Amino acid sequence: MNISMLGSARAASSNLNGLAETLRQAVVEVRSGDSGSGTGIIWGGAGLVVTNAHCIKRGAQLQVDAGGKWREAHALAYHPQHDLALIAAPSVSGPLLELRDPESLRPGELVFAHGHPLGIRDAMAMGVLHAVTRDRSKSPRWIVADVRLAPGNSGGPLVDAEGRLVGINSMVVNGLGVAVPASLVERFVEKALAQRAA
Amino acid sequence: MSAQKTGSSSALVELSSQLASAVATAANSVVSIHARRRIPSSGVVWRDGVVVSASHTVRRDDEIPVTLPGGESAVGRVAGRDSATDLIALRVEGTKSYVAPRADAESLRVGSLILAVGRPGRDVSASFGIVSAVGEGWRTWQGARIDKVLRLDVAVYDGFSGGPLVDASGAVLGLNNSALARGTPLALPAAAVDRVLDELLERGHVRRPFIGIAVQPVALSATLLKQHGLSSDKGLMIVSIADNSPAEKGGMLLGDVLLEANESRLAGPDELLDALSSVGAGKAMTVKFLRGGSVKTVSITPGDRGREGGE
Repeated sequence: MNISMLGSARAASSNLNGLAETLRQAVVEVRSGDSGSGTGIIWGGAGLVVTNAHCIKRGAQLQVDAGGKWREAHALAYHPQHDLALIAAPSVSGPLLELRDPESLRPGELVFAHGHPLGIRDAMAMGVLHAVTRDRSKSPRWIVADVRLAPGNSGGPLVDAEGRLVGINSMVVNGLGVAVPASLVERFVEKALAQRAA
Repeated sequence: MSAQKTGSSSALVELSSQLASAVATAANSVVSIHARRRIPSSGVVWRDGVVVSASHTVRRDDEIPVTLPGGESAVGRVAGRDSATDLIALRVEGTKSYVAPRADAESLRVGSLILAVGRPGRDVSASFGIVSAVGEGWRTWQGARIDKVLRLDVAVYDGFSGGPLVDASGAVLGLNNSALARGTPLALPAAAVDRVLDELLERGHVRRPFIGIAVQPVALSATLLKQHGLSSDKGLMIVSIADNSPAEKGGMLLGDVLLEANESRLAGPDELLDALSSVGAGKAMTVKFLRGGSVKTVSITPGDRGREGGE
């Protein structure tokens, strides 16, 4: 038995526990009307939550659960093409996730999905980056990862080994997890807030 | 700005970075093969001028368009196929700088970290998992014997068959295949690929020696054992003989009980297949058998099913 290998596997596993704890504090559960629930990411540290547009029923009453308490919330903006929604959830706060530039991603890098798949709270899945697909202008469109997702993971974070946000998990295609790149999420939030301020 | 770091995550970050580097290393030997509808399949530059892939993904035999790791277009010519291991060898020029680094699959154990790499399009993709079982000897459903088969807990996605299974350094351990075990992700170890490849390059097919009989294991009575001084109490009774087969030409009859082939004992059908595999091309095999209570021997020259291109 190679002792040094065992040591590094154990160290990596222990790092992963820390990562899971940070993510647990950085996400909420989003419920909309009587439809199923999804995951949301606390954005900007406090008061804002980003999730998938498909997790929210338009016009329905919204609730977010952070730390075991359900709080009222309301939608601020939608972007159906990118499957994104911005929610105002006053009094919700958590750690701010650093963003990962999708251009620097390499296939084979470890990625982690956090969320509430099938109603199981704070479940984590590990995989590797599969590919970054691009639109016609060559900018990142989707992050594809070899990671197991289920309904309820929608809107939750896909992070790298340092806990930086790679994207928002949105769907499963041919068994692969597909996420909206963090760069698109950032642009969506900036635009939505600018429009409200104007 | 980061409100909170995830603590000391150096081991995890290091692991992640090594995996990405392993994929980059492996990517340098993975080609994409355009020989079917929908998505292309993957192949590995196994030797200078030789690409191997999964035979079922290559649906044509004429000039096959291949995209090399550097993005160059090349043409592959089929050097041979082996349906039993689902392996195809293509001759492709201009691949010298892309020959895959190889690792020893012998060092693999259950739980070893592995990556599956494919090039189902222009770019390379990867999935990650562990070795879930190392089979000691296994026969594919088409009868080929593989000494050590690797069952994988890793997703082999569309277009990944024929691509490499690599270790955490990016060195190639084997060839991924999702069709060989009917859907279960599995890898053909590099040593098995080499063995099949040698035969394909030499004669265009893999020899599958056969004599044309079906057998049933039977127990031999104590009296028989004593009478003939036999060491094993099992034999293989012939229950059918194909017309014009080497066995028929050799004079074998229904009901004969095979005892030995080239002096190795035959207690089960697998041992007969192993004995056949060890007979050289065109060589004869001495078969010792029981007929009507007496021991006889006959010399039979196995035929080659691989050459006939059939089952």
